Amino acid sequence: MRLRQPGLAGIADDPGAFEAFYRRHFDEMTRFLARRVDDPHTVADLVAEVFLAVLDSAHTYRPGRGSEIAWLYGVARNTLLAERRRAARELRAGGRIAGRRLLEADDVARLEDRIDAESPARRALQAMTGLPESERALLELVVVDQLTVSEAAAALGIRQGTARVRLHRARRSLQQVPGVVPPLVMEGIR
Amino acid sequence: MNDTFEDRLLAELRTEMAGRAPQGRAPAPRRNTGRRLLATAAVTAIAAAAAIAVPLVTGTGTAAYAVTKNPDGSVTLTIREFRDPEGVEDELAAAGVRADVTYMPLGKRCERPGFRPLDADQANMPTKEELLSKDPAVRAKIREKLASSPSGKAIRMRNGITIYPRYVEPGQTVVLQIAENPKEPTVRDPGVAWQFSGMLTDGPVNPCRLVDDPGAFDVGDAVPPGS
Repeated sequence: MRLRQPGLAGIADDPGAFEAFYRRHFDEMTRFLARRVDDPHTVADLVAEVFLAVLDSAHTYRPGRGSEIAWLYGVARNTLLAERRRAARELRAGGRIAGRRLLEADDVARLEDRIDAESPARRALQAMTGLPESERALLELVVVDQLTVSEAAAALGIRQGTARVRLHRARRSLQQVPGVVPPLVMEGIR
Repeated sequence: MNDTFEDRLLAELRTEMAGRAPQGRAPAPRRNTGRRLLATAAVTAIAAAAAIAVPLVTGTGTAAYAVTKNPDGSVTLTIREFRDPEGVEDELAAAGVRADVTYMPLGKRCERPGFRPLDADQANMPTKEELLSKDPAVRAKIREKLASSPSGKAIRMRNGITIYPRYVEPGQTVVLQIAENPKEPTVRDPGVAWQFSGMLTDGPVNPCRLVDDPGAFDVGDAVPPGS
């Protein structure tokens, strides 16, 4: 039983609504990807993929299950995971819209600046690689992407209580690795 | 006007939107899994988180597939519905491409060896260590290796599947095998949407005998950790 809900459902059909959504989130999505990928062309491809995924899956958004931003991070995360998985298996990461084709010299420079600006975040992500996936995914969203715990929980499709327990556990295990945890990681978990 | 990447991408996305909803409102929130447009990926491509890789066609009256010849001599195959593989083969033959097309449900694959891969393709296969590596340099090398193999040059994911007959030698057959997941994955319930494999062979292609491929549904860590 699937009822049609208000909210994002319209953005896939309504160019005006889509543009508003796109403008609202373009910068944040570019930063999210620049924290995780250090090549401007790949970032451009992935930004295109994320917004295509938004068009494909706008109908899955349920206002009752978290904010728009939490939903979007969920979409972005799945896009990125799909890309990482594809990278190992595929001939080439083909996309319907190759974002890199749209890049000009200025854009590349801007993206490189952004990628540089996010390098502390990439180091923090690096420090978290030893954590179990369930804890790491959550810590990333809360600490590096600055989502609230409830938004991060919604993005990952888990309950808030579960999220809090995992954050606590992640914090404990990171504390046991002195010297490798950038201050950023610990600050965010307060 | 379109002066930054942000603006240019928006313009492309709007074109994409216009192309996918020709009849206006699409009332069904759940879209029909049968009507898909296969438009990305590669040789042995796996699209996890389906929403990303499989756009859906909402128009009516579209054929199951389309074969178009491009000015550069290449032939583009666009698949909208996974049926009538023989028709696809006939149309490709008319466009000068000898092909063997098989559709199957995800979770099955053709028994190997159904055909003999080219020696040059075999030489370009990444090693197991390379496939498991997370090093971007290694991953780039894998992509480059595959793209420069004979099959990689002849069969590319461009506007659907594009075949370059100039890289197909006389006597070779283009073998296309596509496995579709009947259950459409969603963002909340991610899964593999389809798998695609495109290879050249210079020998005969045996009729596909389906065998189980339990690993096909594996999306690795693309599944959000369950609560």
